[in-house]
Amino acid sequence: MENVSVKFLPLFVLGLALVVSLSVGMISRRQARSGYGVQFQSIGHASIGAAIASNWMSAASFLGIAGVFFVKGYFAFAYVLGWTGGYVLLLVLMGSQLRRFGKYTASDFVEARYESSLARVFSAIIAILITLIYCVAQYKGIGLIFGWIFGIDYTQSLVLGVVITIGYLVVAGAMGATRNQQMHYLVLIVSFVVPLAFISNKLGYGMSLPQFTYGRALLDLPPDTARDYLFPWTFGTAYEWIALSFTLMVGTAGLPHVLSRFYTVPNNRDARWGVVWGLFFIGLLYWSAPAFGAFAKVWQVRSGMELDAQSAYQLADLVVVKIAEWTGIPEILLSIIAVGGILAAMSTITGLLITGAGAFAYDIYYRLINPKATEQHLLQVAKAATLVLAGVILLVALNPPGLIAQITAIAFALAGNTLFPVFLLGIWWDRANKQGALAGMLIGTLITFSPLLFGNLIPGLRTILPPTSSALIGAPVVILSIIIVSLMTPPPPEALRRFLVEKVHSP
Amino acid sequence: MDPTSQTEKADKNDDLRVNFFRPRPGFMRKEVMIIWGTLIAWAFVTFGLPIHIAWQHSDPQLTLEEVPKIFGIPFYYLFEGQFVIVWFILICFVFNVLIDWLTTSYRSRR
Repeated sequence: MENVSVKFLPLFVLGLALVVSLSVGMISRRQARSGYGVQFQSIGHASIGAAIASNWMSAASFLGIAGVFFVKGYFAFAYVLGWTGGYVLLLVLMGSQLRRFGKYTASDFVEARYESSLARVFSAIIAILITLIYCVAQYKGIGLIFGWIFGIDYTQSLVLGVVITIGYLVVAGAMGATRNQQMHYLVLIVSFVVPLAFISNKLGYGMSLPQFTYGRALLDLPPDTARDYLFPWTFGTAYEWIALSFTLMVGTAGLPHVLSRFYTVPNNRDARWGVVWGLFFIGLLYWSAPAFGAFAKVWQVRSGMELDAQSAYQLADLVVVKIAEWTGIPEILLSIIAVGGILAAMSTITGLLITGAGAFAYDIYYRLINPKATEQHLLQVAKAATLVLAGVILLVALNPPGLIAQITAIAFALAGNTLFPVFLLGIWWDRANKQGALAGMLIGTLITFSPLLFGNLIPGLRTILPPTSSALIGAPVVILSIIIVSLMTPPPPEALRRFLVEKVHSP
Repeated sequence: MDPTSQTEKADKNDDLRVNFFRPRPGFMRKEVMIIWGTLIAWAFVTFGLPIHIAWQHSDPQLTLEEVPKIFGIPFYYLFEGQFVIVWFILICFVFNVLIDWLTTSYRSRR
């Protein structure tokens, strides 16, 4: 035990952040009840945008992109492009129409549009799988930072982090605290951007706009290293780059928790304009993330730190915290960046676990196992499902299969190969029917998992279908399958097609 | 009577077609035209520019000095890494302005 060295200031800041978060959550709830909430919600499009960004920002954005940049340089921009461009697809192809359709969850939409309980169950299973994969990446982030704070190994810190997260979820649930999305965004972005300015200053590149000046830092690297980091295809081919960014885009447009953001806004026009602000707020993070990776690389070269590829990978997901520690910025800033990473991961985990457990209780248990279950019984099932899900994720996260951003990308591939085509054709093609949707979701799931399951057996499979990037081929194949199967089977009823024309596609 | 509005009326009653590639005349067709325009601007940075960059930098002998630069940093790097977010915000902004205009003009007709 004598080797364990706890960092007390980050621990104190974390405790403070959780207490403040709970208190603000209580106040937000009380204001919403007394009517002040309505006034607060109508602050405007910027406020909606902040909520979109807050809902979006996870450990993948906060820790992951900088990590990929640290090991793969320019290649990391595929993540930046993918995780912003997806909102363009969502806004342009589906946002307004999904809202006019009037269903609140992915499963609700699938059942209503395709008139099939089986399709609903299938989409719920997919939503739960997405939750599982997405949360594994968040758990890894929590495990790494808790390990850093407490000076303990990854397995211990992961268990500790998960216990604290679930504990927080239970307490917040018992107190009925809701998350104030705008404040959450503000806390995350400040804890990311302010320390970055200090890091830049410590390295001699000034405090102003490190998001743009880090390019100079990269040019100060030895010519060979600079070439590797700045040249486009050092760490991956053009196909891999395009496939990854496309996969992340269609995945964004198909992620259930991103789609449901569209419904919590008072009207359609506000939701659309909220996306513009949301992109700007997400952009603030993505303009900054590569700078962390770049500064960490510069520090590594300057300090003569020797890192082989494997050590660099092990370090990558903690590089945002490590570069703050290496450069010796004030400890309070070091603490808030570490706590920011934990909060980003924790909020994503709690949100996704609740959604995943809800999908199990209401879409699978109620539909398939016990249709006579009461509301109270379903609530208990959901609570039990939360714990089971949390446990399953913990087991997978003990041996994380990749970098945080890479694990998250697999969840995006699944959403892009299954839910995105089903939503897209459900909205834009009246002839798409339940047989087509079922076939599409089945084929999409197979495409997503085939490189993971059969990658070692079939040569070249992972080259054509990289696990993180399978939707460039997968999504069009699934769209085509839905079209073919739908044309071979009877069309949807006239009432549904009329609803599409008169409600979903009318101004 | 305006022939376009006659077609629109006929379609409204009989045709239940919703097809992105063959949109019904009127609101849906104009909306789809705006979507296509936005998608082209989106595809430019998603596919067009990366393919262009791949083609321009395929020579393994190429050095950093030979690449077109702005502020000493390769142009493609600034564009695909930084400006692309501004690009997406801009195209969403223009899309929203056009959809607002289209929605208002069709609502006032009804």
